[in-house]
Amino acid sequence: MKVDFWGQEFEVNMWVGCIGGFFIAIMSSMFGFGGGPFMVPLMTLALRLPMYIVVGSSLLAIFFNTAMGTARHMQFGNFDLILFLAMFPAAIIGGYVGPQIAKRLSPQIVKRVACVGLVILGTKLLGLF
Amino acid sequence: MNIKFRVLPILALAMAMLFVPQARAEQPVAPTINMDKTTLNNGGDFVISGQAPAGSQVYIELYAVEKKVRSNRFDRKKDPKTGKIPYKFYITKEMPAFYKIIVPVEMAGALDKAKAAGSGWKYSEVLKEVGADAAYSVPAKIQIDNYQATIMASIIGSRGTLLPEMDEKATKSESMKLVKGQFRSVGNLLAAAVETAPDGSYTAKVRLRTGLAPGEYNARVTAVTERIKEGDKEIINKASSELISFDNKIAFPTVYLKNAGTSINLIWPFLLAMVVTIFGVLMGAGGGFILNPLLVMFFPLPHTIVAGTVMPTVLFAQGTGIANYSKIKFINWKLGIGIGSAMLLGGFIGPKLTEMITLAQFKSAFGWILLVLAALMFWQTTPGYLSKNKKEQAILKEFKKRAEETAKAKQ
Repeated sequence: MKVDFWGQEFEVNMWVGCIGGFFIAIMSSMFGFGGGPFMVPLMTLALRLPMYIVVGSSLLAIFFNTAMGTARHMQFGNFDLILFLAMFPAAIIGGYVGPQIAKRLSPQIVKRVACVGLVILGTKLLGLF
Repeated sequence: MNIKFRVLPILALAMAMLFVPQARAEQPVAPTINMDKTTLNNGGDFVISGQAPAGSQVYIELYAVEKKVRSNRFDRKKDPKTGKIPYKFYITKEMPAFYKIIVPVEMAGALDKAKAAGSGWKYSEVLKEVGADAAYSVPAKIQIDNYQATIMASIIGSRGTLLPEMDEKATKSESMKLVKGQFRSVGNLLAAAVETAPDGSYTAKVRLRTGLAPGEYNARVTAVTERIKEGDKEIINKASSELISFDNKIAFPTVYLKNAGTSINLIWPFLLAMVVTIFGVLMGAGGGFILNPLLVMFFPLPHTIVAGTVMPTVLFAQGTGIANYSKIKFINWKLGIGIGSAMLLGGFIGPKLTEMITLAQFKSAFGWILLVLAALMFWQTTPGYLSKNKKEQAILKEFKKRAEETAKAKQ
């Protein structure tokens, strides 16, 4: 499939994109997260698309998954309104405060710290210590 | 007159000798039950005491009356006899939001052994070992629907065909599995705390932890006087007390979560969500990755509720992101919708799979996902990626600038 973006044309292998997206969607809706950090590497590495086309379009793609996942979780009675009302405003506040702090920090250091944190949390979930 | 008076005590004695052994074998005297408190504030300590027949084992069944939760189990374990996978789905809406049996202190060793066995422990076996099966009664009477499912039908969201109601014995056996699935650990379901004196008087110091369902709770004492083994069968002579009630009160900001069956101080998830979202923005990944595992680790929430409640929270952030990008025409709709339609299908299947796995499986799968994510993060800090990314970011900025200018010029 050919896509056009700001005057440039890209050839996209939709088979890879759709199959990869399908599995990422299953995983992220099953465990209840967005899935952006997996979609971006899929589109930049496997589909060889430049970052500037990926940032917005990947967000649009995962929005489909999140909307459907939300509807299905509600159908199964997995949605708790009170818990949602406690976390939703917090997420909005965090969304405003986050970028303010991000300006003052080096993204490399943040990513390294996050990396350590994720490994600790991951091994803890696996019951390794 | 005189003779009569002499005969009466002898007669009475003879009657007593005739009746007492029989009465003992048939129906022991019902134990009495008292409680030192009638209300608790978000859990607390209390003492249950009373009188049971001398020499009996005393068990206390404790459960929430008012608050009930939904509980389900998907059975896809291979039957060792037939080699077939049953694919049966069991669901009840009547599981008490709290259920626990307090057993004699002498059983502490057996409970510790069960705790050491880890998450693979069997509720029915432990109940039998500590003799608490004699007191297990409330969950045995809940209404359980059972469905014959197939993997494919489950994925689409159908529970399968409703099977005829199970008999009393099957219901009891399945209820134990559901109880274990709901309350998970040995410590949540059993405690060794009943101290019995030789004369049969008993006391039990019980603690109801914080964060449980509010409302009315009941307690009932069952005294086991005799266990007679007859081949495989065991005849248990027991008697149960009256029900005694108490009230567990909670106050805002602690609220009861109906789907989870527990109460929670709302300040904690609020703070957690805020910190995690900020951190998510910093590291360039959504908050759900960190928020979900932390929620299931720190709070007694089922993984289905966590996944089902965090997802809508993410939805809003994505929506505003799309709106902002589309304003500056920075979205390729053809590409986004193309891959999005495949993701729509994935999003249809995923939430059903959440229901089909246990909390332990949820946790360990999430552990792997986080390790993969950590590897991705690490890769993004390697020099090779950084130099490539620098160029990309410069182009991205240039394009964004152009896009913003065009959007402005149009206005």
